[in-house]
Amino acid sequence: MRKKPAPNRKKPRNIGFGIFLSAFLLVAYFSLVSFSRENPESDNEEPPVNGVISPEEFTRTDLRKGERLFKGLVEFESGIHDCSSCHYTVRSDTMNWNPSAYELAKQWISEENYSLKEKLENPVGVRMINDHEGMQITEEEEHQLNAYLAKVFEEGRGELQVIPVNAFIFWGLGFLMALALIDLLITRKIKVKAFHVLILIVGLVVHMQYAVAESRSLGRTQGYAPDQPIKFSHLVHAGEHEIDCNYCHQITNFSLSAGIPSNNTCMNCHTVIREGTHSGRFEINKIHQAHESGEPVEWIRVHKLPDHSYFSHAQHVNAGKAECQDCHGPIEEMHIVMQTEDLSMGWCLTCHRDSRVDFLDNPYYEIYERLHNDIREGRIDGVTAAEVGGEDCMKCHY
Amino acid sequence: MEKKYWKSLEEIQPQSNGKYQEKQAPSEASSPMDILSDELNEKSSSRRDFLKWCGISFFSATVISACENPVKKAIPYLNQPEEIIPGKPTWYASSFIQGNEYCPILVKNRDGRPIKIEGNDLSSLTTGGTNARVQASVLSLYDDGARYKTPMENRNSTTWEKTDQKILSRLKDISANGGRMVLVTPTLVSPSTRSLIDEAVQHFPGLEVITWDAISYSAIRKAHQATFNRDIIPGFRFDKADLIISFSADFLGTWLSPVEFSAQYAKTRRLKKEKKDMSRHIQFESHFSITGANADHRHPVHPAKEAKILMALYDRIANATGNPVIGAPAVDFDVENLAKQILENRGKTLVVCGHNHSGMQMLVNGINYMTGNYENTLETSVPYNSGKGDNEAFENLVQDLENGEVDAILFYKTNPLYHYHQPEKLKAGIENTQLSISFSTAKDETAEACGFVLPDHHFLESWNDAEFKDGYFSLAQPVIRPLFKTRQFQDTLLTWMEKETDFHQYLKYQWEKAVYPTQTEHPDFYQFWVHALQKGIYEKPATETESLSYSPETLNEEITSVKTLANQEGEVVFNLYPGLAMYDGQDANNPWLQELPDPITSVAWDNFAALSPVTLKKMDLSEGDLIRVNQKIELPVLAQPGQANDCISLALGYGRTQAGKAGNNVGVNAFLLSKWEEGNRSFSGAVNSWEKSGSDHQFARTQTHFSMEGRAIVRESTLDKYQKDPAAGNELHQYHEDHKLTLYPGHNYEGHHWALMVDLNSCTGCSTCVIACQSENNTPVVGKDEVRRRRIMHWMRIDRYYNGTAENPQVVFQPLMCQHCDHAPCEAVCPVAATMHSSEGINQVTYNRCVGTKYCINNCPYKVRRFNWFQYAQNERFDYNMNSDFGRMVLNPDVTVRERGVVEKCSFCVQRIQDAKLKAKNERRKLRDGEVIPACVQACPSKALVFGDLNDKQSRVAKMIQDPRNYHLLEELHTLPTVGYLTKIRNPKA
Repeated sequence: MRKKPAPNRKKPRNIGFGIFLSAFLLVAYFSLVSFSRENPESDNEEPPVNGVISPEEFTRTDLRKGERLFKGLVEFESGIHDCSSCHYTVRSDTMNWNPSAYELAKQWISEENYSLKEKLENPVGVRMINDHEGMQITEEEEHQLNAYLAKVFEEGRGELQVIPVNAFIFWGLGFLMALALIDLLITRKIKVKAFHVLILIVGLVVHMQYAVAESRSLGRTQGYAPDQPIKFSHLVHAGEHEIDCNYCHQITNFSLSAGIPSNNTCMNCHTVIREGTHSGRFEINKIHQAHESGEPVEWIRVHKLPDHSYFSHAQHVNAGKAECQDCHGPIEEMHIVMQTEDLSMGWCLTCHRDSRVDFLDNPYYEIYERLHNDIREGRIDGVTAAEVGGEDCMKCHY
Repeated sequence: MEKKYWKSLEEIQPQSNGKYQEKQAPSEASSPMDILSDELNEKSSSRRDFLKWCGISFFSATVISACENPVKKAIPYLNQPEEIIPGKPTWYASSFIQGNEYCPILVKNRDGRPIKIEGNDLSSLTTGGTNARVQASVLSLYDDGARYKTPMENRNSTTWEKTDQKILSRLKDISANGGRMVLVTPTLVSPSTRSLIDEAVQHFPGLEVITWDAISYSAIRKAHQATFNRDIIPGFRFDKADLIISFSADFLGTWLSPVEFSAQYAKTRRLKKEKKDMSRHIQFESHFSITGANADHRHPVHPAKEAKILMALYDRIANATGNPVIGAPAVDFDVENLAKQILENRGKTLVVCGHNHSGMQMLVNGINYMTGNYENTLETSVPYNSGKGDNEAFENLVQDLENGEVDAILFYKTNPLYHYHQPEKLKAGIENTQLSISFSTAKDETAEACGFVLPDHHFLESWNDAEFKDGYFSLAQPVIRPLFKTRQFQDTLLTWMEKETDFHQYLKYQWEKAVYPTQTEHPDFYQFWVHALQKGIYEKPATETESLSYSPETLNEEITSVKTLANQEGEVVFNLYPGLAMYDGQDANNPWLQELPDPITSVAWDNFAALSPVTLKKMDLSEGDLIRVNQKIELPVLAQPGQANDCISLALGYGRTQAGKAGNNVGVNAFLLSKWEEGNRSFSGAVNSWEKSGSDHQFARTQTHFSMEGRAIVRESTLDKYQKDPAAGNELHQYHEDHKLTLYPGHNYEGHHWALMVDLNSCTGCSTCVIACQSENNTPVVGKDEVRRRRIMHWMRIDRYYNGTAENPQVVFQPLMCQHCDHAPCEAVCPVAATMHSSEGINQVTYNRCVGTKYCINNCPYKVRRFNWFQYAQNERFDYNMNSDFGRMVLNPDVTVRERGVVEKCSFCVQRIQDAKLKAKNERRKLRDGEVIPACVQACPSKALVFGDLNDKQSRVAKMIQDPRNYHLLEELHTLPTVGYLTKIRNPKA
């Protein structure tokens, strides 16, 4: 037995300091997570393609005039056209089928001998003809618009503006609680103490609720729906046109991965279909550009499992006969793909416990004699994945 | 009565002083968590510091976890190749060809990069086996530290256009001026490469080719030339032999074609209900090889005595068969008995000799001929195409180089500045030439001394073919695009010869011309080619050859040299042997091979001078002392039980100086002791001088980890006892089966119940499984220092037990992996349930749940669990393959790379189980026996391991577990392992 250490005078202060530190860190922690959850997606946009054209090459007047023309604040010689009503200049979280100002700028920068005037005055495709018919700009106006586009390009795609409601509530409540605490202990302006207590209790409950919710969803990206390099719509392809999922994701049945379709799969149809109902030619042209330049399209990955779990699409889709929608949600109704499930282990296991395997039709399962007997004798009417080892750790982690 | 087994000399010689005991690992440097220790707690600031650390860790955890999730991109193919499915491996048949080493292989390609090599089971030579070096060769592909990335001129990188221009004009100049150009190659088993080189010789007058092998087999050819007038190495058939007598030939480890011989040997050694007979193997050798360890009788003999025994044996046989005798000197050995056994087994005996000595080889030829073994256990119709090195020509070349008579020297796949015994002389000679070129793939001593380096592709990036044994053709195809700006040697030659084709076309053309006409199956060449490429091999029907005629009189000239050798008895001699992992040292920069412990001595990352305990005493040395031998090399001594007295054995392949980060200056170069003697390269000789030059060398040994503590871990018996009672030596098993009592409920395996059976009789200890496991399961390399601290990470190890005397012990190897106990002691103690039992009988570890208490390691009676003491990936301290972007390309994406602080162990290759099950499910059928093959089982050249489902009563494991020879390790603990071992049976002459 070790002797009990002598009482230490400094001890209470140390503990107080520790509690203070921990409390401070706890608050910092929640504030950070509550901010981060608002915008799970960060953009690392690539630098300018060739960087030849920069806004410095234009005069300030050109720049200002160009911006006003684009935003419909001043008139073109041929009348007023508000470009920005279709070609957004700020980032939006709703689907806008038209290319944004940034995308136009990018196209203009990356294409040699690109003439805005020519493009505008000779529109191609139904969408573009309908919207741009009869538009005429002068060379001076073209120059000014170019100036503005160069600026847009330099500024990049821009951040998605999201109002951090949760953070406001969190910090607001924190502020109120601090006030209540100060008033309760020092200033004592409000005499009804129940008021302070109420604020503190409500505040703590809300904060705890945030803490639990935030820590549970740490590292998970439920609701994640990033902008993709091409405005590809599952709603149009899988929903409206009822293209089978397996047509594009054909390796799902054989491989771990469902496979992002290669460019040549897109080209199967889009060599003929050059124009979309919603997006016109702009988006579909990107497939052709990739084909010609040899640079594959860099999609943003939406669904991802942690590295230490091994998931096989073939296991679930082919052997397990699961539907795509079981995990990916109503994908055929999405313009922008969104992660609908949290992809947590609890979610996996719930399904393993509830869903039935293809027990009677797949001869593989003949080895489970007892379960077959039970079915034959009517004790059970089906077998879940968990009953044939679906809860073993090393089914997914190895 | 159980035999007494021991693992180290200390165990049977307790009087040894403390010098043998390895030093305890120094305590870890003080860490932040030291503040939790008791002493520091006394200090007034401890709690505060603790809170600080808590705060900091909490804060950093907060910041890290609160960071935004990174945006990950998914980039599909632009045009997806038809045969590539992302996430699914593709297999290509190819061939491992390195000088005299050959193995038909299958390469597993995952998303465009080769990650694993397995044996090609279509080959009737290797029947799907590999060896450790073949398994490890995939790693050398990604050795970005040592591989040349561009052509080099005077050690500066340059371009192919420039070098081609310069070299070609100089070659033409030399050729026009009647100069001499020499291309040095090892034996090339590729017929197409040989014919291409022949064409190059025609194209460049003045070019000559010299074949030179680091590990030479020239004496076998010379002896056959002399006795039978045939320059061949006959095809050995160990599987047809009932009596195998080997004089220092380590045919299961390194000699000639070990993968093939292991398969053949295991065939004669395997015992079943229906085959209760096995061959007898007698080994004479001075150093302890794994072949010796497998022998029924092993005689540790001085090389001189070996020569005497061989001569005496020859005389006895010659006498009995009516042939002239050679007048052998008397020898203190029961040769009569040996001769009797051979004569009883006429036509069923195989005598082999590993000495590169023409005289001894001729005696062996004589014995084999006189007892009618030729065309039975030795096939002259299918000779080997390896071992064609011409030592004499190379010796002359070195002389000519020194005299400045050579204008240009070219080295292809050979590294004589390391392998040759007089490197300074050779180096000066190379500097005498106008033009020196090396075609080396990776850095080596010779390439660094050459003016130009024109890097060849790695063999996995190349087209090639091989005819290792006559009529046994195989193809090698590229399985990855060249990683660096290298060019295949053959393509370089074709470019220089201004040919329009590349080597791929050339190869096809050669096959159409030479190989295609030998078959009748395929009506057109294209079909034949595609089939051959897909299978990787093509085996030509054997042709008849004329019978041999023996001329014993030829022995008279050579016998004097054998007699001289025999006179050395009593002198201290050395003998050099190729290291099991290192062989000739060309893969020295492969950290997997460096960390593979030698199965006999369990020393990794080193070579040493092995001495018998008696000689050690006589020389007044102790283990760990350094000695200088023949004024040439200095290395530590190691006491090796079973080593012949007065004989120092040294492993070749170590001591590279220009190999790369992992291989530089590991051990010493024993090639410096080799000699040029009587027309052959000799790997043994007299120790003219030795002196003690240091002490206290610390070996990195895996041996002293554990002791057997008198328990029947290895069980063995003899053949005659086995024939009477198949459970001989395994009586304890029945006892434990009868006394099975438990309070705990058992497991109920409704689907599969995986089990692994190990046949100790077939296991040769070759350690292939160790590397196969490492390659499959992303096991990190920890380095010499960490191995010394017993932190080697191998999931599978070969335990070695001695029994008998220290002078001539017997050795049993026991492959040990996780036993997957039904009542696993590790599972019960895990506080976080990170290790649990699966419904299929697998003892699982979940890394993401493990918190690293190591209780399981403590509680495992088999000591198979490993702890990640460090983060081994992307850590400068462990600068091996996992610390380089290229090196990490070899990692298996189906297995997690473990983090620091978690425990890991054998998983029965659960990723392969899952894969096979999925395949069966998708094909809507039952899983077949033999479909799930863990890496160790696949790699084993002698098929000693069998894996399967115990619930499938027809499976091989289910039958083997019923074998009376089956037992489990430490049955008395009632851990109920699912790994079973079949007793070792030896076949000694009563």
